[in-house]
Amino acid sequence: MTEILESLQFVYGPQVANGLAIGVAVILMALGLTIIFGLLDVINMSHGEFYALGAYLAVTLVGQGVNFWLCLALVPVAMAAIGYFTERALIQRVFHTKDRHILTLLLTFGLAIIAEDAFKLAYGPNPYKPESPISGASEILGIMLPNYRLFLIAAGGAIIVAVWLVVYRTTLGAMVRAAAWDKNMAASLGVPVERVYAGTFAFGVALAGLSGVLLAPIYSVFPTMGKDFILMAFTVVIVGGMGSIKGAVIAGLVLTQIQSISSLFISPVWSDPLVFGIMVLFLMVRPQGLAGRLGHG
Amino acid sequence: MADTPATRVAVRTAVAANERADALGDGVLAGAFVALALVFAAVAAASGDTFFFRLATEALILAGVAMAVDLLLGYTGLLSLGHALFFGFGAYVSALVLKHWSPSFWAAIGVTFAAAALLGVVAGFIAIRARGVYFALITFGLAQVVFKAVYNTRELGGSDGIIGIPQIRVEFGLFSVQASSPLGFFLVTLVFVMLLYAALAWLMRTPFGRLLVAIRANESARALPGILALARQAGGLRDRGRGRRALRQPVPHAARPGVAGAAGLPDIGQRRDHGHPRRRRHLVGALYGAVILTGLKSVIGTWTEHHLIIIGALFMLSVIFLPKGFAGYVLPRLRRRFAPGAGKPGEGA
Amino acid sequence: MLELDAIHTHYGLSHVLQGVSFTVAKGEVVGLFGRNGVGKTTLIKTVAGWVRPSSGRLRFEGEDIAGLASDRICRRGIGLVPEDRRVLPGLTVEENLRLGLMQAPGRAKAEAARAMQRTFERFPRLAERRSQMGTTLSGGEQQMLAIARVLVGAPRLLLIDEPSEGLAPMIADEIFALIHELRAEGIPVLLVEQNVMRALEVCDRFLALERGAVVFQGDARSSADRQRLIEVIAV
Repeated sequence: MTEILESLQFVYGPQVANGLAIGVAVILMALGLTIIFGLLDVINMSHGEFYALGAYLAVTLVGQGVNFWLCLALVPVAMAAIGYFTERALIQRVFHTKDRHILTLLLTFGLAIIAEDAFKLAYGPNPYKPESPISGASEILGIMLPNYRLFLIAAGGAIIVAVWLVVYRTTLGAMVRAAAWDKNMAASLGVPVERVYAGTFAFGVALAGLSGVLLAPIYSVFPTMGKDFILMAFTVVIVGGMGSIKGAVIAGLVLTQIQSISSLFISPVWSDPLVFGIMVLFLMVRPQGLAGRLGHG
Repeated sequence: MADTPATRVAVRTAVAANERADALGDGVLAGAFVALALVFAAVAAASGDTFFFRLATEALILAGVAMAVDLLLGYTGLLSLGHALFFGFGAYVSALVLKHWSPSFWAAIGVTFAAAALLGVVAGFIAIRARGVYFALITFGLAQVVFKAVYNTRELGGSDGIIGIPQIRVEFGLFSVQASSPLGFFLVTLVFVMLLYAALAWLMRTPFGRLLVAIRANESARALPGILALARQAGGLRDRGRGRRALRQPVPHAARPGVAGAAGLPDIGQRRDHGHPRRRRHLVGALYGAVILTGLKSVIGTWTEHHLIIIGALFMLSVIFLPKGFAGYVLPRLRRRFAPGAGKPGEGA
Repeated sequence: MLELDAIHTHYGLSHVLQGVSFTVAKGEVVGLFGRNGVGKTTLIKTVAGWVRPSSGRLRFEGEDIAGLASDRICRRGIGLVPEDRRVLPGLTVEENLRLGLMQAPGRAKAEAARAMQRTFERFPRLAERRSQMGTTLSGGEQQMLAIARVLVGAPRLLLIDEPSEGLAPMIADEIFALIHELRAEGIPVLLVEQNVMRALEVCDRFLALERGAVVFQGDARSSADRQRLIEVIAV
């Protein structure tokens, strides 16, 4: 009996909590991806690089002596501006062609290649690790947890709820949902569809940047960090249902727990194939994912 | 236009004329490619060069990959973001064969051929269930997963790759070519790549090739098990073409999708005219594109190692401004010169 | 108010509108009639900006609107009640109406709230169902919603496409009564309707469309004109 309790306290408990912290960050990223897909029908292959850019911006600002908490506010704003510009300068150019699915995918894929090499050029191949802004650890239910991870879970959870409220409880969110469902009708009611597109893309990019900042003190910051993370985010989006917020939250929590717990039993080399296998399985069995499109819940 | 027997004959004649003009245009470009390659080989051999030979050989190998991507994207409209997986796989298999089993070139290419075909069937089995963007995501994920797995496997050399692969001699019965000879290896690669080109060009004119194009024209075609099986075969075929890539010294970075993505530069967007089964695509564009790209990479490489920034930018610019690709730009102009009688592509049907 | 001059519109290779010219003046309700496939809905979509005319002049209140994005056209004061109503799925009745407010974005909050208030007073059934999903309403209620969400933005011209389609006669009566009210309020309407006889009752003038062009214009009150219209559009 005590053995079971001890393994819960010292082995499974911390693993579940760590999985939760990562899960919150993955969900923030997946939310950006899924909202962009739900509204614009664009698979943003450079989403991982936007996440990395957020982390690098934080590293740079902290290096300049800027307070980490200020970074947490500044970086998403900067990322939103970058996202807005990206949508107007790139996505818009091919958006009205018949092949916009593949052309936007190729464009953002090209952007990802450029960004990754640009990170290497600007910061070198070695990882940075910003110091955690909250030190110490607390005991919850007998499980010792770093305070920063507790903060991450709380703050990330609050942001996820806020995103849901914005999309489902405000007129701004109604504009986004309307444009996702029926672009022409939304426009004929006066919704500035083009600006809603750019704004939504910017919002998704800002979320990716925000999760980059939040995760920087836990993981290191390095040029391929986006690529390493993006597969998980895509899996969450596909399993949750492309465009679904609720689905992304559920899938994000479940998948990161699977990854976290399984790492107790299998080598980390196999954690990616495991996640990928789940994605393939869902595409075969239930291609629509757990929940429907944007606006469905 | 009324659907009378006369108009139907007229349409058919126009289509046939178009196809002949297309084949002619492709043939002219492919012939010019071989001629240029031979002129280059003569000049380079006379001046005792090795650097440009290596570069040109690399370009030819890249052309093979590009043709494979083009076969999928250009003809069936399926975008594979994980094609470098097969490239890297071929290289690893041949390296292992040469190192541990037999130093024979033909053994290496035979085993790689078979193994790549098998992998193609497996990968096709997984990926072909998804369409459009999902296909792209699955192939992307597949390549990522395999890359990471290989990268973390010490038995395969991890991040250093496999080292100590013997230099080989390619036996042709009457004569043999040393793989370390720049001229000889260049010519061997040229022969293989042009044979691959001829085989694919022929394949695309067969009923099977037309079926491939029909896959893109009709999304519901995937419901037909027969087409599905054929599509899987195509997956295998494309990877068989990949076997020769083993000739190259294997490096783990070959397995990075970024490289193949950049390789797709010249022929992306040839799939623009979807829904038009009679419209032909231009495999020959992949040959020229690969050469242009390798040349660019080398030039950029002389002043920065971060060539992906520039290649990536070119890639994006061509998606935006040249969506029909290099061949899509050149060929209609060539056709107007060589076969003025034929109509514009795609309008004959 | 609305002037079309030699408007041509293409859908891919098919030439749908082949030089349409007419005007809608202030305060008049104009019916647009013709057989299926002559381009009535395309004409509405062209004015609303869903389809870009390939040539010709399209002016509203003296300003050129051809080629403008639909949201711009809408904010100039042209409200659209489209074919099949297009009630936005996943949005509540109230959200559907709130989006209608976007048509006049410069309005003060209090004024916008009053517009919502007036709309709910005019359509009490929508007020009862304000937090219900728009697509769960009955066909007639959805048509009410499609009209109400445009009225809330105080349009200066209404485009209404097939409002009675698929509705029971009694419900259709309500819709026509509503259009009659709009006419009394002086809101100009361009109305496309299959039920020509009912529509003529609420129209001042009408246009007959044949093969992408206006072949005949007439007075809705004149029985000679009506007779000729029937001859033109009868199969």
